[in-house]
Order: sequence, then C-alpha cells, then structure tokens
Amino acid sequence: MPTIAGSEKSEEVSLLSEDTISTPKKLKSRQRIAVSNLRTPDKEVKQDSHENLAVDSLSDCLGSESRDEDQMRAVKEALHVSKAPSTIVCREDEHRRVFEFVKGCLDQQKAGSLYICGCPGTGKSLSIEKVVKQVGDWSKQACLPPVDTLSVNCTSLTKTADIFSKILEIVEPVKEDNCYSSPLHRLQSLFSQKQDSSSRMMLIIADEMDFLITKDRGVLHDLFMLTIFPFSTCILIGVANAIDLADRFLPKLKSLNCKPMVITFPAYSKDQILRILQERLMVLPYVAFQSNALELCARKVAAASGDMRKALSVCRSAIEILEIDIRGSPGPESQGPTPDNPVVRMDHMAAALSKTFKSPVVDTIQTLPQHQQIIICSAAKAFRGSKKDATIGELNKLYLEICKSRVISPAGITEFTNMCTVLNDQGILKFGQARGNKLKRVSLRVDESDITFALQGVRFFRNCLL
Amino acid sequence: MGKENPAEKALNLIRGRLCDPTFVFRPLSGPPDSNYSKLKFIVSTSITEGCNNSILLLGPRGSGKAAVLDLVVGDLMEEYPDSVTLIRLNGLLHSEDNCAFKEIARQLCMEHHLLFSKMASFDENSQFIIAMLRECGLAHKTIIFVLDEFDMFAQASGKQRLLYSLLDAMQSVTSQAVVVGISSRLDADQLLEKRVRSRFSHRKILFLPPSREEIDSLLEHLLSLPADSSFPSGYVTQFNEKIKNITSDTRFKDMLKTFLNANSTVNSLLKFIFRAVSSMNLESGLLSLENFKTALSSMLRQPKLEAVRADCSILELYLLVCMRRLEVKEQSSYNFISVMKEYKTIHDSFQTSDFYAQNVCLRAFEHLREREVICYAENRGQSQAGEYRPMKLLISASELHQGMRSHACCPAILLKLLDH
Repeated sequence: MPTIAGSEKSEEVSLLSEDTISTPKKLKSRQRIAVSNLRTPDKEVKQDSHENLAVDSLSDCLGSESRDEDQMRAVKEALHVSKAPSTIVCREDEHRRVFEFVKGCLDQQKAGSLYICGCPGTGKSLSIEKVVKQVGDWSKQACLPPVDTLSVNCTSLTKTADIFSKILEIVEPVKEDNCYSSPLHRLQSLFSQKQDSSSRMMLIIADEMDFLITKDRGVLHDLFMLTIFPFSTCILIGVANAIDLADRFLPKLKSLNCKPMVITFPAYSKDQILRILQERLMVLPYVAFQSNALELCARKVAAASGDMRKALSVCRSAIEILEIDIRGSPGPESQGPTPDNPVVRMDHMAAALSKTFKSPVVDTIQTLPQHQQIIICSAAKAFRGSKKDATIGELNKLYLEICKSRVISPAGITEFTNMCTVLNDQGILKFGQARGNKLKRVSLRVDESDITFALQGVRFFRNCLL
Repeated sequence: MGKENPAEKALNLIRGRLCDPTFVFRPLSGPPDSNYSKLKFIVSTSITEGCNNSILLLGPRGSGKAAVLDLVVGDLMEEYPDSVTLIRLNGLLHSEDNCAFKEIARQLCMEHHLLFSKMASFDENSQFIIAMLRECGLAHKTIIFVLDEFDMFAQASGKQRLLYSLLDAMQSVTSQAVVVGISSRLDADQLLEKRVRSRFSHRKILFLPPSREEIDSLLEHLLSLPADSSFPSGYVTQFNEKIKNITSDTRFKDMLKTFLNANSTVNSLLKFIFRAVSSMNLESGLLSLENFKTALSSMLRQPKLEAVRADCSILELYLLVCMRRLEVKEQSSYNFISVMKEYKTIHDSFQTSDFYAQNVCLRAFEHLREREVICYAENRGQSQAGEYRPMKLLISASELHQGMRSHACCPAILLKLLDH
C-alpha cells in the first residue's frame, strides 16, 4: 500500500511542472477516490474563469494526499497509550490527595505509607509519575533537601527480597564492610538508630505490589514495617489492583494502628472518558472525530470496564478503519469523505467497537464443518439440564442419534474423537483428565445461547436445538 | 519414455507446490480485505509510523496462520530491508519465564552480531532486552515478536511475567515493536490476567475456513500446469482440460462436500489433494476421478470397521452380535460367561449350524481383545480371571452393522439378529 500512495504523489509532482490546462486531468483522478465529492465540478468551473484560484486549488489538491497521511499519523500518535498528556484530567482529586500526603510526610520529616488501588487502566501509574515530578519541583522551591526516588516494578524482581537490596543501594550508596546481615536487617538496624540530620527522605514507589506476596507474606509485611521504625526516612507508595490488599495481607499493621492510607482510583465514567479523549484531541488543529462517535465509544467502554487503554485502542482502531476506507476500493459502498477533512463517523466507530468487543466464537461456529456443528449441538442438548459433562462415548451416542434422524452418514468413532480434539483445541469443548481416550469427560465451554445464535440461520439445526 | 518424463515432472511440480506454504497462500493475499492485507497493514503502520501494536491471530489448526504471517514478514523484510528484526518464541518450548528471556536475548544477539553468554542471569537478560528495545527504538528499527501457541504462555505460570513485560514495553514511547500472538484457542485473550489484558490492544484476526469459491480457485491454482517450455504444450493443455472436467463433475463436488463436512481447514484439503496426486497413473500422465476417490477413502478411515470387515471370523462375528444384543437388553455390564449364555440361547432358538466349545470361543474372544474391538470395562479387577471381568464393545452399532454387511461371508442370520 505505501507504494501505491507513492506513485500517486509522483503523478502530482510531475503535473506541477506542466501548465494549468492539465489540472482537469488531476481533478478527474480525485473523482476516482471520492465518488460523492460534489466540489470538483465547482472547482472546474472556477478554474476556467480565474487562473489564480486554479493555482490555489492545485496546491490544495497536491498537498491533501500527503496531508491526509500526516493527519492520520498525528491523530494516531495523539491517541497512543504511550503518549502521556501534559496535564491529567479527571484525576485531580486523587492526584491532590497523594500530593498532600507526600507533602505532609516531607514537612514533618516523618515516614509514612500509602496504598493505591484500582482496576487496570485507571491512571494510577500516570498519576504517580506526575506526583513524583511535582514533589521534585516543590521541594526545590521550598528549599528542602532533594528527595531520593526509587520506582520499582515488582514484576522485574527475580526474588521478592531483592527490593530491599534496591532500597539499601539508595539509602547507603557506599557499602560498608558489614556484608553478613541481609539487606533487610541492615535497613532495620539503620532505621532504629538516630541518623545524622543530613539524611534525606526517600520516596519508594512499588508498582504491581501483589507480586511481592509470597506464601508467608513476609516481604510485603517487612516492607510496610520499614515505615514504622522510629527513625525511618522512607515514604512508601504501593500500587496494586486489589482493594483489600492492606486488610488481607497486613493484619499486624492494623493491630499496631499504623494501617497505610488507602486511595482508590475508581474506574472512569462515560463523561470522564469523553473528556480525556477530547483533551487528547485538542492538540490537533482540525476535527478528527465526530462528537457522537466519541460519545458512543465512551459509553461502550465505560459500561464494559472503564479502562482508558481500551478506549484509546478502540479510537485508534476506528482511525485505521477510516484509513482503509479512504485508500480502499472506490466502489459504491464506500462513501468516501471529502479528501480535505477525513472524519471518523459513527459507522467507523461502531465497526471498531464490534471488532474489539465481539468474541470470535459466533463467527467460528458458523463456519465450522457440518459434523463439528452437529457435535456442538449434541453437546448443547446434553448439557442443558443439571448434567455438565459427559464421556466421549455418551456424546457419540447423541451424535449418532442426530445423524440418524437427519439421514446423514455419521463419522466413525476415530474421526469423531479427532473432531472433538479439534474443538477442544479451539476452546469450544473442554476435555477432562482421563487415562483412556474414551473415558475422557467432555464439557462445553461456550454458552448455549451463543450456539443458538450462531446456528439460528441454518434450518438443519433449528429443530435439533429445540 | 517420452510420455513418462513429463508425467513425472508434472507430479514433482505439483507435489512441490503442495508442500510450499508460500505458494499455497499467495493467491489469498490479493483481495484487500483478506487476512493477509489486514495483518500487513497493521504491521507496516507500526514500521513506518513507529507506533507499537499487539495482535492476535486466531483460527483452527492448519488454517494457515503461521504461513500468512511468514508471507507478511517476508514481504516486509523485502520492502524495508534493514528496519525489521524478527524474534520467534514458541509456547511449547519457552513458556517458562527464564527460558523465554534467555531465548529473546540470544536471538537479539544473533541478529545484531553480539556475543551471547549462556551464563547470563535473568536480571541481566531482562536489562539487556530493555536496553536493546530502547536502542532499536532510537534507530527506528522495529522488532517483531512472534509468540506461537500464545495460550501456552498465558497458561504456563500464574503470573504471566513474560507477557506482562513485553506488553508493558509496548506502552512506553522509547520502544518500537509489534507483538503478534498465534493461537488456536478462540478465547486466548480471556486467559490473560486482567493487567495483561488491559495492555493488550485487542486486535484479533480470525482465520476462517475458505469458502466454496476460494476452494475452487485454490484447486485451479494448485493443479494447473504452467504453460512454459519445460512441458510439451499438448500435454499441458490435456492435463489442464482433464482437471477442469474433474472439478466440474458433480461426483467430485459430492466427494469434496463429504470431505469438507468433516474437516474444512486448508491443511487437510492440501493433504487430500496430495494423496490424490500421488496416486496418479504415470502411464497416462493425467489425473482421474479414481485418484480422488482412493484419497478420500484413505483419509476418512474407519479402522474398527475394517477390523470387522477384513479380519473377523464368523465365530467372532457371533460373539460381537451377542454382546450387542446384551447391550440392547439394557444389561449394563456383561462378561464372557454371560456372552456365552446369550450365544447358547441364540443357538437354541435359531438352530444355527455353528456352535463351538467354550475354549474355542475364549480364544476368539482374546483375538477380538487384541484387535481392540472389545476391551475390559475397568482396569481394576486385575486379579479376576479373564472370563469374569466385565467387558465392553469399542465399536458402535452402526459401524458393526456396516462392517458385517461388507463382510465377505457373513451369514444372513447374524444381520437379522443384530437388527432385533
């Protein structure tokens, strides 16, 4: 596809050197792309009368192909997950609370612990990064000693106890000769003695903290206990998904009355998602999305999970569908938007949403070979009541019944087992554990309503599933 | 002599084509909404625009997911010679995190001609990978991670560390990479942990079985001989004519329909054509409908039926019919003694000519068990003598019926007994 665009561009460049009489040919090629483009006749009329206008429209036409691509690229970049916006909207309240907490600890030069929880994609890591920057700026302004920061993603630790050695590296950069005690003990002894006044506060951010949970819950506990020591200098912020992590895994802290403060990041609502998307798109000088398309996306994603990454991904998917629409077949189906201002409409957004949220199961069941569809029907019929699994032999009996009633020659038992294995591979059936092949217990992984929906158009199966 | 060489050459050419996935899937890459172009569009936008993406290719086994991916990667490597690095991982081999990171580091070292140390620890490997991602991002080289058997990565360890780190790297601005997962499980993305699923960009490309028109064009593409000078031209036109006649024959269409009703992936179709082509008559040098018939019967095998049809003696057939009658009478478990009782009742009521002694019947029983037409119902009562252990049939009633009908000398009375 890039090569096709390139040849069109060269066509445009060569036309620039010719005189304006050749521009009607140029405009005809425009018509190939946009069937319902009503502007071209006007341009042609204008050109015959005004030469200056012709030059303007020529440069317009020349630029728009590459301008389209640049536009698309800029929009996609603005919507990429990795591009963090400069201001964070819809999280001001939580941001402010975290910042106040850290500021309070720094003011009193005391240690503290904070636990941040929320579903994935709710802006936790993003907010923390902003808070860290803000704290750095603020401490410089308030003429306090600079704060050391340690940002650890706990998935990258081979051993959970490694986090203590990382903390120790920052607290005590010069390693003393005392290498007999573990990093944890060293930290504990350091924090139990009075430090000299030039010691600095340390901000520890532990991302994906539930990776630190081991069977004896020791590491997580010790980490939070570090903040309780009388002369401790660390401010601990833990980030995870579970809301009750602090209650479940740190009971001792509750008894000592030093439970960490908990800030929950709720999932985004529809208005919040809409606002964030609009903020991101504000950097572009043109309108790339129709407002009702954005609203549809926000509503769907908020109803599903409130996950911002998903919303961004759906929007990028919609842009790609629009791109394919512009570049693709100039048939009567694609009503191409005017080449000057491609905009994502409701139908693009609806297509992107269905691609993301639809499960491929229904499509696959509709295109399965007939015998496999019969197997799925017999399984659906068998597991309708309280029985949830059966052996392959019993399923085979049902299958033979259906085949006999429809006068189809059934497949043999070997072929039947093979087909069941294929369906198991695809995740439609589930095999239990058993030694012999015939004794394996089979259960259905797909909902019966999905099967009925998929096969409703086929007359053959309508009676089977009654 | 003159006619054999072109026939052999034609056979070799067609067989070579059938075994080459790029040739088979090349015509599917034409239409703009095919899976090939969708995949190519996503991966090439990542290369040209530098944004990160993750995709999942789903479809039953043998539907050409890996083949189409190879086609796309091959084409992209030609178009952008120095900007693509390919890293391949397989869920069956590298599902463990340590193993996977080591393999990624090793492949990266090989691509960029660095020395790889087998002694590197997990930490060093992961730091190396992060550094390489950053370097490649700065140099605008895209890394394509291909994860075969994606569901194995998701199921192997509870923590899914590898998937998390790879998909997390997609979220940062400094890296330029694409993660392509290939899986036959349709719910592969439901197996992901919620953190990992949130970072995955939910693009899925579904590989469905080909439609009738696609199959017809595929057959023509695979079986037509090219009109170049290596074959005598009369032979080529004759061959292609014959192919056209065969494919438009209704009997062939019925055969194809029977085959596709059981198994509709591209891979199984290729195996079917391969077998048909291999049984081509080298004398005439042309394919015929018989070739396809033999291929079909060899692919849709029914081994138990063949065991009954070809191998069983009349006494064994009697025993099988007795067992079937006991099953019909709702006797849930039966052993050799009860089968013998049934045999005696049949002999008494119908006055059949064959009646053998118990030890002969026992030998026949053992023979059936060796052929796996019957077996012990449970494995537990090992201490009991063979005659008292419960048995069960491993062949279904319809197969038994069919086998007996096509048996060379099955007495008519047995068929009557089976039907009652």
